[in-house]
Amino acid sequence: MAKQDQQIRKHRVCRFCENKEISIDYKDEKRLVRFVSEQGKIIPKRITGTCARHQRQLVKAIKRARHLAMLPFVSETIR
Amino acid sequence: MDHRKRLYETTFIVNASLDDSQIEGVITHVQEIVTRNGGEITAINKWGRKRLAYTIQKKNNGFYVNLEFVGTGPVITQLQRSFLLDQNFLRFLIVQVDPRAVKARQQAAAAVPAAIPAPEAIAAPPAAEPTAPPPAAPVPQRKPLFFDDEAGPPPAPKAR
Repeated sequence: MAKQDQQIRKHRVCRFCENKEISIDYKDEKRLVRFVSEQGKIIPKRITGTCARHQRQLVKAIKRARHLAMLPFVSETIR
Repeated sequence: MDHRKRLYETTFIVNASLDDSQIEGVITHVQEIVTRNGGEITAINKWGRKRLAYTIQKKNNGFYVNLEFVGTGPVITQLQRSFLLDQNFLRFLIVQVDPRAVKARQQAAAAVPAAIPAPEAIAAPPAAEPTAPPPAAPVPQRKPLFFDDEAGPPPAPKAR
């Protein structure tokens, strides 16, 4: 029960709502890699806790970063 | 036709196997295209040679350049055309600068000029750098913003 509680609460607040200073940018690959799985897939918001608005911005940024070869489409290890 | 001036930014990857002087030439050529078509360059950041996340035209490295400029629609079409025609560009991206980012940058500049390294700050003389990192460093340390400090990246989604 306690553990379940903890898990639910853990990612409840969107990181970008919490800290308004961070802006989501495709150039900031170090920030974006945290929202991408090991395989290179975009992690759903239900896991990261990002709100819908910021998830949309994130997705756009990740896709732009992928186009510029800053993030992989598919990770090297899988290929 | 809409000829409103807008703030754009373009990031492009130049073939890194060229000499530095050749790369420099390619970059100035891009700048010329922008200015010749009535654009005005507001910032240029050379990120330098970086490893690509995947191979593009059998190349693993590229020279990244980020250019910010104010211009109208025709600049974009001209720029796009030259990027596509020239073999030395591996990739390019032209986007309007996010108004949110502009706002955030202005606020940061107003509050503490050195707190967040805005693109313009990178172009600042190196003499200012020794003073810049100390105020910036404590901010991320005080409060870890991301889950990686706690338990590494979140569990990967279930494999199907």
